[in-house]
Amino acid sequence: MKIGIMSFAHHHAEAYIANLRAIPGVELCGVADEDPVRGQRFAQAYNAPFFQTYEALLESKPDGVIICTENSKHLPLVEMAASSKINVLCEKPIATTVADAKRVVDVCARAGVLLMTAFPMRFSTPLMEVKSRLDSGELGQVYCFNGTNQGELPTKHRAWFVDPALAGGGAIMDHTVHLVDIMRWYLGSEAMEVYAQTNKIFHASEVEVETGGLEMITFKNGVFATIDTSWCRPPYWPTWGGLTFEMVTERGAVIVDGFKQNITVYSHANQRPIWQYWGSDMNQAMVGEFVSAIREGREPSVTGVDGLRAVEVVAAAYDSAQAGQPVKVQQV
Amino acid sequence: MRVGLVGAGFMGVTHAAGWAETDAEFVGIVAETTAEATALAKQYSLKIYPDLASMLPDVDVVDICTPTHLHHEMTLQAAAAKKDIICEKPLGRTTAQARDMIEACRKAGVKLLVAHVVRFFTEYAMAKASVVRGEVGKPGVIRLNRGSFRPKKPAGNWFLDETKSGGILMDLMIHDFDYARWVAGDVESVFAKKVTTANPNAPVDYGLAILKHRNGALTHIVGSWAYPPPTFRTRVEIAGDGGLIEFDSADTAPIINLVAKPSSDSPDVGLPSSPVAESPYTTQIKEFYSVLLGEKQPRIQAEDGMAAVQIAEAAIRSAATGQAVILESLSEVLS
Repeated sequence: MKIGIMSFAHHHAEAYIANLRAIPGVELCGVADEDPVRGQRFAQAYNAPFFQTYEALLESKPDGVIICTENSKHLPLVEMAASSKINVLCEKPIATTVADAKRVVDVCARAGVLLMTAFPMRFSTPLMEVKSRLDSGELGQVYCFNGTNQGELPTKHRAWFVDPALAGGGAIMDHTVHLVDIMRWYLGSEAMEVYAQTNKIFHASEVEVETGGLEMITFKNGVFATIDTSWCRPPYWPTWGGLTFEMVTERGAVIVDGFKQNITVYSHANQRPIWQYWGSDMNQAMVGEFVSAIREGREPSVTGVDGLRAVEVVAAAYDSAQAGQPVKVQQV
Repeated sequence: MRVGLVGAGFMGVTHAAGWAETDAEFVGIVAETTAEATALAKQYSLKIYPDLASMLPDVDVVDICTPTHLHHEMTLQAAAAKKDIICEKPLGRTTAQARDMIEACRKAGVKLLVAHVVRFFTEYAMAKASVVRGEVGKPGVIRLNRGSFRPKKPAGNWFLDETKSGGILMDLMIHDFDYARWVAGDVESVFAKKVTTANPNAPVDYGLAILKHRNGALTHIVGSWAYPPPTFRTRVEIAGDGGLIEFDSADTAPIINLVAKPSSDSPDVGLPSSPVAESPYTTQIKEFYSVLLGEKQPRIQAEDGMAAVQIAEAAIRSAATGQAVILESLSEVLS
């Protein structure tokens, strides 16, 4: 099976190269980038076949592509891939507006290609363990969540993460979708209403977008949940940030840290502790699921609609931050 | 200075231990029943009074450690008798009550000291001092967690009667409402939810609140009565534009017990504790004693106690209505 990578705008593209190469029977057939210099540089660094254009990559007939452009540019690449009848794994958030996200889903459905949203937390072994305990009934009824998806300013990875035109927003756009998706997955219920507050106190002089964000989401089944999306971690934090949640049920609470499986390294070279993650590679499992879904000709376990539902919550969060009151989530 | 205590519950016991560490004359106690007061009376050689009115002539200071809904009436009674007052948190069950208490004490010319003990916990006071020194810059997003088990009582569990205690948003989370305001300033709006609103028969409770401060900072506050006894866990995170402060009682516990216990008995109400030379409750009573002697200024004013009640009341209203609640400024409330 041949899989290609479209764009290195998102730094995850680099991880996906290694993930693809680790799967038996899968060939990283090529990479392309609208910025040929960047594309060639990464192609060379990872010893991957380089295509001058996206069209050329798609004409080589891969079985699937992983789209790693900036958030607002996912749609045109998804349209290209779909019209070439090529299956898509799209970086999150799948779009910066609900209209674009809907179109991403629609063009893939019409073309009859698989569309998977890159929500790697679905493949986190600690989170999967909690999901199975929840499904077994041992935790009883869920009442609420207290979640955090905090990070450092992501410009360390790529400058466009704080460009409103390319990223679609700041901390709310970047860090709402993972926890929304986890909660939808755990609860089997859709978000109904969102309250959000944002500010720009961290890195105030460096960026235009919000860097602090707190949200309270209410689901149709009555469960409520907060998400802290803030880019509040200093650049000398032991790692990039993290994702945690406390899930409160009738039996008590389960506190989950998706990135707790670390060794702490103190090195003269760094002059600060660094957490090195030893937990299982969730990206590997996610890319593996994309490949398996293509092989088996079935829907992936995380769909484009999952990506769309998360974008709907983001849109409502921005509306609420403007209004200062909770806003209903509009499902399209 | 003669001190009389009202209330012999877990907080009365805690304050009594603090008074014993001062030079004040700790003379009397009032409790709901004489039986409840007996142990404390014996330990500290206190006279047991049948009610507050009969104790007032014999004391200079009244320390009110009764259920929340009784604070207002007892404060007014003590103020009318020109006694200085120490009152457990929350200052009043409502903002209106708290304002009334402040007004009564001002008119009577007596001191009103509100026991927000969190300000006396060394780690909390140290984090506040670090912010004041500018070590983390301007606070942007603050996270405050306080979690324990649902308060138990042998009889008459007033904690679970929201008309008396205000429930988890008032009784437990007011600690962190006050602390948030101490660190990041006055609050503009509150949005909150709690488990027992949608699930009145839930065996646990858990509250979440989002505060927007007038200076733009945001605070996320968690209150839990969902953990198994004897858990008591607190956590603070203050992220600023120049750094980050954090501590978690689970991470700073200097002793980890992995010993077999004969029984896992727990107190009625969870209390945070870490082995330190002086209990923060005692530090608080000692500071209040110095304030009453006119030797120093308290780190908390009665108006701060009212402001915390105002935030908690807004949280209760938000949870009930599903809307964010905009707060009146303190000067508006007091005028």
